Amino acid sequence: HPTRSRPPSTDADPRRWHSRLSAILPSLATGCHPVRPRRQIRAATPTRPRSSSRASADLRGRRPSLAMINFVLLISRQGKVRLTKWYSPYTQKERTKVIRELSGLILTRGPKLCNFVEWRGYKVVYRRYASLYFCMCIDADDNELEVLEIIHHFVEILDRYFGSVCELDLIFNFHKAYYVLDEILISGELQESSKKNVARLIAAQDSLVEAAKE
Amino acid sequence: PPPSPPFPLLQIHPPSSSSPLPACFLPAPTTPAARSRELPPPPPRPRRALARAPRDPKLDTVEKIVEDFASDMALNPFSSGTRLRDMIRAIRACKTAAEERAVVRRECAAIRAAISGDGQDLRHRNMAKLMFIHMLGYPTHFGQMECLKLIAAAGYPEKRIGYLGLMLLLDERQEVLMLVTNSLKQDLNHSNQFIVGLALCALGNICSAEMARDLAPEVERLMRSRDANTKKKAALCSVRIVRKVPDLAENFMGLAASLLKEKHHGVLISAVQLCTELCKASKDALEYLRKNCIEGLVRILRDVSNSSYAPEYDVAGISDPFLHIRVLKLMRMLGQGDADCSDYMNDILAQVATKTESNKNAGNAILYECVETIMGIEATSGLRVLAINILGRFLSNRDNNIRYVALNILMRAITVDAQAVQRHRVTILECVKDADASIRKRALDLVYLLVNDTNVKPLTKELVDYLQVADPDFKEDLTAKICSIAEKFSQEKLWYLDQMFKVLSLAGNHVKDDVWHALIVVISNASELQGYSVRSLYTALQAYSEQGSLLRVAVWCIGEYGEMLVNNVGMLEAEGPITVTESDAVDAVELGLNRYSPDVTTRSMCLVALLKLSSRFPSMSERIKQIVSQNKENMVLELQQRSIEFGSIIQRHQSIRSSLLERMPVLDEAAYLVKRASATQATIPAYKPAAVTPGGLKLPNGVAKPAAAPLVDLLDLSSDDAPVTSAASATTAPSDFLQDLLGIGGTNLSTAGAPSSASTDILMDLLSMGSSPSQNGLPSPGLSSPALGKSNSNRNNDLIFCFCSHY
Repeated sequence: HPTRSRPPSTDADPRRWHSRLSAILPSLATGCHPVRPRRQIRAATPTRPRSSSRASADLRGRRPSLAMINFVLLISRQGKVRLTKWYSPYTQKERTKVIRELSGLILTRGPKLCNFVEWRGYKVVYRRYASLYFCMCIDADDNELEVLEIIHHFVEILDRYFGSVCELDLIFNFHKAYYVLDEILISGELQESSKKNVARLIAAQDSLVEAAKE
Repeated sequence: PPPSPPFPLLQIHPPSSSSPLPACFLPAPTTPAARSRELPPPPPRPRRALARAPRDPKLDTVEKIVEDFASDMALNPFSSGTRLRDMIRAIRACKTAAEERAVVRRECAAIRAAISGDGQDLRHRNMAKLMFIHMLGYPTHFGQMECLKLIAAAGYPEKRIGYLGLMLLLDERQEVLMLVTNSLKQDLNHSNQFIVGLALCALGNICSAEMARDLAPEVERLMRSRDANTKKKAALCSVRIVRKVPDLAENFMGLAASLLKEKHHGVLISAVQLCTELCKASKDALEYLRKNCIEGLVRILRDVSNSSYAPEYDVAGISDPFLHIRVLKLMRMLGQGDADCSDYMNDILAQVATKTESNKNAGNAILYECVETIMGIEATSGLRVLAINILGRFLSNRDNNIRYVALNILMRAITVDAQAVQRHRVTILECVKDADASIRKRALDLVYLLVNDTNVKPLTKELVDYLQVADPDFKEDLTAKICSIAEKFSQEKLWYLDQMFKVLSLAGNHVKDDVWHALIVVISNASELQGYSVRSLYTALQAYSEQGSLLRVAVWCIGEYGEMLVNNVGMLEAEGPITVTESDAVDAVELGLNRYSPDVTTRSMCLVALLKLSSRFPSMSERIKQIVSQNKENMVLELQQRSIEFGSIIQRHQSIRSSLLERMPVLDEAAYLVKRASATQATIPAYKPAAVTPGGLKLPNGVAKPAAAPLVDLLDLSSDDAPVTSAASATTAPSDFLQDLLGIGGTNLSTAGAPSSASTDILMDLLSMGSSPSQNGLPSPGLSSPALGKSNSNRNNDLIFCFCSHY
C-alpha cells in the first residue's frame, strides 16, 4: 500500500513538535522573525564574512565547488524570475544580488553571440527559448556544451509534460516545473538521461496525488 | 509589464542551436482550447467537471479578476480561499508595485491566519502560494514551520509539497533544517518508494554536514535497493554527502564500484558521478577505483558508443551523450598520472574521437570531453595528434560556441604541446578582435600565454593596433595585458619605451599606476634614452593630452630632462630633430596644470615640474613664478601649499635652488621590482591597487610638507630617539641640517639643502634600514591618495623619499 498510514509517533505530531520548538526558539512561536543561522551549523562550509560589499570577492575566491551546476535560473525577457534552484549555499541577499547581476549580463547579449558568459570566475551557460532564458551556472572547468544539452533535455521534458510548454505554463504551474527539475537534477548533477523515464516517474507521482485526493 | 503571450518555448528554434526538434515534438495547434493556459495540464489526471468554463485569455482583464476575487471572498470570507492560479493572475494584473504589495500582503495575512489556525485542508494550496510569493522576493519565514508540518504529514501530496517548500524556502544554513532530520530518517525508511525518492532528493539538494553524517548509513542502505529510481537518487545523494563530509568517502567506495555493473542508464550516470566525486575526495578511493573499475568503464563506453538507435536515449543521432561525457570525465581522473590506465583506454578513446559525428552540439560536447581527456592522461602521440586535429576543426568552425570551447582547450593544451598551439596563433589573434565579448576575453588570455621571446614583437604590434579600435570596456583588459607583456618580454629598453608610449597615448586613462611608475623607473635608469623619451613624450603630448597617465609621465620627464628636450641632447639615429623652445616646454606643463588635468595628483606633479624647469631654464623663472603663484589660493590644500612653497623657493632662495633641483638619483630597478611584487601580493585582499601601494612609486613629488605627525611616529620608531622639533623654517642653512640629522634635533624637511649621497646612507643607518632609499619611494604624506592606514614602514619610507628627492 503506497499510502498506508502509520500511527503518528510522538515525534511526528506537529502540535507537540511546535510547542517543543517554541521553547527552544521563542522567535518561531510568533512565526514572524527570520531565523538567524548560527555559526556551528556552518562548520563544514568555509566561513564567509557578512558584508555584502565583499561578496563578489568571496563568491569568486573562497566558495568551494559543491556541485557541477551551482544554480539554475529561469528569467523572462523583462527580467522576471520564473524559477530558481540553488545547489550551492547562497544567502537570500546573495541570491537577489546574483539574479540582478546575471539578468543585466545576459539579457543584454545579442542573439548571435555564444551561449557562455564568464561571471565572477564561473561560467554561466544560457539559452533563450522564446521569451525565457534558461541559465545554469557551472565551474570554470566544466563542459559547457554538455550543460547546453542538459538545458535542452530539461526543456524537452517540460515540453513533453505540459504539452507544447510556454512561459505561462511555467508561471501558473511552477511547482510542477520544480517537480520535473527535481527528477532531472539532484545536487547539481544529472540524474536521468532518458526522457521517457522521467515522464513515467512524474506521471506515477501525479497519479499518486490524484489517488490521494479521492 | 505586458502579459507574456503564450508562445510555446520549443516552437521557435533558438538562434545558435544546432539540433532541430525530433519529429514527435510538432508545434502545437493554435486552438483556443490549447491556448488557454489557465486550465490544469492534460491527463493522466482524470478530467473533473470544472467550476468555470475555460476562458479565453483575451477576456482576462482586471475587472474579471476582481470579480473572481470578490466571488471567492463571498464564498470563504475567513480563509485564504483564492486558488493558486487566481492569486497568480491577480498579481500579474497589478500595474504598480504598490498594488502588488497590497495583494501579497493580503494573501500573506490569510495564509498566516490559516497556519496558526491549524487548518488541515488547503495547506497544500497555501504552501504553493507561499512559494510563489517567495519567488517574487517577499519574506516568507513564517512558512518554514508549515513546511515541517507538511513533511511530517502522512499523505503523499502533503509530503511532496512540503519537501518542495523545504528546498525552496530554506537553505542549508538555517537551523530549522536540523529539525527535519528525524522526518527525513523516517521517510528514508518508508515503504513507498516515491516517498523515499522525495526524501533522497531533498537530502541531496540541501543537506548540511551534520545531517549528512547522521543519515549516511540510510543512504548507503538505499543504494543497495532493488528499485533503479531509488538507487540512482541514493547515489547522487551520496555525492553530496561525500562533498560535505569527505571522510565518509571510504564507506561508499565498494558500493560505487558495484553500481557500475548496472544496466540502467540513470543508475550508471549517477554511479559514475559518485565515483568521480570519490576520486576527488580521497586518494584511497582513487586507487581503489583505478584498480577495479577501469575495465568496467571502458566496457560501458564501448557499449554505449556502439549501441544501435534507441529512441529513449537518443539525442541528435547519438545514443546517450550524457553517459559518454560522464564516463570520459571519470576516465580522465583515473588515467591522470597513471600510464597503465591510460594505455588501457587508448583504443576506446581513439574510437570515440574518430567515430563521433560533430555536426550537432551533442557530438561536439562528446568530442570536447574526449579531447580534454586525451590531454589529461598519459596519451600516446597518435592520440594526441587526433586531439589536435579535432581542435583545429573546432577553431575554424563558424559556431561561436565551438570556437569558445576551442579556445578553452587551447589554454589547456599549452602545457601539453606548446608548439601546436603556436601554429594557431593567427587564428587566435583574429579571435581577439571578435565581436563576441566572451571569445575576445578568452583569446586575450590565450595570447598572453602564447607570448615568448620570438613572437613578442609582432604580437604586441597587433595588440597595440587593435587597442586603437577596441571597445572601451575591453580596453582596460587589453591595456593591462599589453603592459605586462611588454614588461616581461622586453629585451631592449628602446622597444619597451616605444610600446609604453604608444599604449599611454592610446589608452592612458586605463593604465594602472604601477605600470607607469615602472616606466619611470626604467627611464631614469636608461640614461642614453632619456633625451629620446622626453622628446617622444612631448610630441605625444601635443596630440593626446587628455590621457591622464601620459600627461603625468610626460610632465615628469619634461621637468627632469627639460634641457635635453630643448637642446636635442642624446638624439638617436632614427630621430628627426624637433625644435622646442624653453617657452614651449613651459607651455606644455602649464597646459597640463590648467586645462587638461582633473585630478590633484597630476596638478601636483605639474607644479613640481615647473619648479624643476625654473632651475633648468633660469630665463623662464619669472613666468614660472607667475604660473605657480596662480595657485596660491587654491582650495585644495596640497596645491596651495606647494604653490606657496615653490613660489618662495623661486623668489627667495635662488642660491640653493639649483642644488635643490638637481637631477634625481637613478632609481634602483631590481629592488623596485622585488618590492612591487611583494607589495602587490600583500595588498590584494585589503586595498585596491590604485590606492596606497607600499611598493608603488609616486616619484615626482619632490618637496614634502613638513609633516609633523608622521615625523613623530617615525622618530619614535627609529633607533635614535631624537625629539622632534617643529619643521619648516625656510631659512635653515644646509649645514645645520646635517647636524640635526645626525642626532640632535628633529629634521627639517622643507628646505633641506643638498645632502650628498653619503648622508642618505647615514640616514639609512639611523633609521635602521638596509635597503637603498630610492626604491622605497612612496606616496609622500601630502599626496591626495586616500590614506588607508599607512603602515609605519610607509612613513619611514616617506621621509627618506622626501630627502632624496631634493637631490
